[in-house]
Amino acid sequence: MKKLAVILLAALMLVSIVACKKPAEEKPAEQGKVFNIYAWNEEFKGFFEKYYTVPEGVTVNWIITPSDNGAYQQKLDEALLNQANAADDDKIDMFLAEADYIGKYVDSDYTMDISKIGFTNAKTQYEYTIKAASDVNGVCKGVSFQCCPAGVIYRKSIAMDVLGTDKPEEVQAAIDTWEKFDAVAAMAKEKGYYMTASFAETFRAFSNNCTSPWVDANNNLQFDPQITAWIEQTEKYIENDYTLTAGVWDAEKTDQMFATGKTMCFFGPAWYYNFCMTNAMDPDNGCVGDWCLVKGPQAYFWGGTWLLAATGSDNTEMLKSIFETFTVNTDVLNKMVKDDNQYVNNTDVVKAFAEDPNYGNTAILDGQNDIAVFYGLANDIKWENHTNFDQLLNEGLQNKMQEYFKGSVDKDTAMKNFYQYVKETYPTIVLPNN
Amino acid sequence: MEKQIRRKDGTLKSVSYAKWGYIFITPFFIAYILFTLIPQFLTVYNSFFEHYRVGLQEVGPNFVGLQNYKELFTADPNGTILILKYALNTLVLWVLGAVPQFVIAMLLALFFTSARLNIKGQSFFKTVIYMPNLIMAAAFSMLFFTLFSRVGPIQGLLENWGVLDHSFDFFAHKVTVRGMIALMNFLMWFGNTTIVLMAGIMGIDQSLFESATIDGANSVQVFFRVTMPLLMPIFVYCLITAMIGGIQMFDVPQVLTKGDGVPNGLTRTLVMYLNGYLRAPNYGMAGAVSVIIFIITGVLGGVVYKMLSAQYKDQSKKKPHRERKGNVL
Repeated sequence: MKKLAVILLAALMLVSIVACKKPAEEKPAEQGKVFNIYAWNEEFKGFFEKYYTVPEGVTVNWIITPSDNGAYQQKLDEALLNQANAADDDKIDMFLAEADYIGKYVDSDYTMDISKIGFTNAKTQYEYTIKAASDVNGVCKGVSFQCCPAGVIYRKSIAMDVLGTDKPEEVQAAIDTWEKFDAVAAMAKEKGYYMTASFAETFRAFSNNCTSPWVDANNNLQFDPQITAWIEQTEKYIENDYTLTAGVWDAEKTDQMFATGKTMCFFGPAWYYNFCMTNAMDPDNGCVGDWCLVKGPQAYFWGGTWLLAATGSDNTEMLKSIFETFTVNTDVLNKMVKDDNQYVNNTDVVKAFAEDPNYGNTAILDGQNDIAVFYGLANDIKWENHTNFDQLLNEGLQNKMQEYFKGSVDKDTAMKNFYQYVKETYPTIVLPNN
Repeated sequence: MEKQIRRKDGTLKSVSYAKWGYIFITPFFIAYILFTLIPQFLTVYNSFFEHYRVGLQEVGPNFVGLQNYKELFTADPNGTILILKYALNTLVLWVLGAVPQFVIAMLLALFFTSARLNIKGQSFFKTVIYMPNLIMAAAFSMLFFTLFSRVGPIQGLLENWGVLDHSFDFFAHKVTVRGMIALMNFLMWFGNTTIVLMAGIMGIDQSLFESATIDGANSVQVFFRVTMPLLMPIFVYCLITAMIGGIQMFDVPQVLTKGDGVPNGLTRTLVMYLNGYLRAPNYGMAGAVSVIIFIITGVLGGVVYKMLSAQYKDQSKKKPHRERKGNVL
């Protein structure tokens, strides 16, 4: 009996020794041959293919799902929940996330600490982009390749007709508060123009200045005064025909960017040019050079694409080099500003453009140095009052309110339809008066 | 079927051919049990649990009994019991599409099979009317969405003609959105129904039509007294499959209204409601909605079958001399 116990004990010790040794043996990790990227559109794919040199022998797979109705998040969630069981080559290596829901992934174990793969955030990255990609303990899980301060992009010819000037400083002075903006809208209406082309055009200018999150610590849904202000403004705009009932992404709105368009102002950041304003850049029907950028009534930011490192990736070296390419590789970043009109996430690069008297955006604007305008706005961006529910709550509110603005339902019904939508989408959120 | 064969030693050996029948149908039943029956029971089972995901966090499963069903039949903030509203939507949308679908299909089937009309180029027409069914419903929906959008060609045309003013929006009115959905379902399915009904009519003995005509029956009488009673089994089959398809109506309104069922959820169908819960995903509530849809389908299918087949039995009792050829189901 004693002998048996001794043998058993010895065996146990041996097992524990072997078990201890294991992690040490794993190094250095072998790099995978397949790199899977989840995304919701082709925007980053374009830059990736243009500027990043994929290591030899590695295949890059893009799994792209549109984000409408939360389809992208749904697909990504399924894949992440299955990540641990997936074969190495099927595992997600990197995925893209937007400001509206980045927290959901950053605060989970499905993303990994990028310092563990040897990447250190550079001082040149905008502070808010790092904060957005960090969990509650400040552990950073990814980087953003862009910074998204946003302003008002206006049609010069229409501004000339309405205000008698098309100079950015003078236009800005005419619309630097919402009261003034409304007054200009009335003037534009008199001349037969629309102030904006979508009922939700100004939504982000309000919603990204909220002083409280959509959902409080006790899971109560709350309406920030900024959201209420947006609803009130839009009611007035619809009633007076200052805007259209089209959604932000609808063809009815983007058709207004053709030379024949009758709309004076569009709200957007630098990515808006390439992503939303292709009609304005149309060689036959567009109006390149008839645009200028100003801050507008209220500084805000909109969107942004973060690249997050997925836990379980076997391509950590490639992850690190992608992050470096899009945050500190100044050759690439300079090209992205010059050729693609991006506002990149590197303060040195954008500062140089902002201060360069010879730089001007001629791809769509009239040669104005838009980087200088964005540079002035970018430092004020704060990352606060975000929740993991933002995308579907913002989308849902806009969709339900659109029916009210179109006149299909009254305001009360629209609001209650929104509550019902919240209840179906997020059962844990507590609704007002419920 | 059993057959007896005499062995060489004189004893009888019985050979059962029936077993081959069972062997041949086994693969279907195995697949059916694995992929349909078991999931169906699991759906019912899931409907008794609170089980959903918020983001990446899973809540449940916790057994809650009939709580999910209770919730389904609780009024929403607007005071509407949504599942009833959506069931009514589904019914209205289906009837709006199915009535013209069956009337037109029946007429076309009669024309194409009529010996008197003897229409030329039948295969061409049959192909053309079947075409819309080959297009993916989502693509067809996108097409209508673009055609009827505020900047689409239809709006432009009607504005030019002075029929509409610019403020009109096809997607802001119950009548127009429901009309579009019904039109699409009609266009997609009338060809299919025509072909099935034609097969049914062609299975009827031509001499019956001839003798009815000789007896002095006009075409209306021939249709109601001869064609219809003999076509009933096929007709019931078409109606029940169309109805099941109708209850499951999803892709056309989902894509057309981007899942919102505009205006005010009046074009949201039961399966779109189910899809809302599947997206969340909320397994418990989705299970409960599925069970309700299953019950509705079962009850309606049973009622239609009973009603129509009883009528058909009466008819065939009255005319025992008429053979029921070609009524293969």
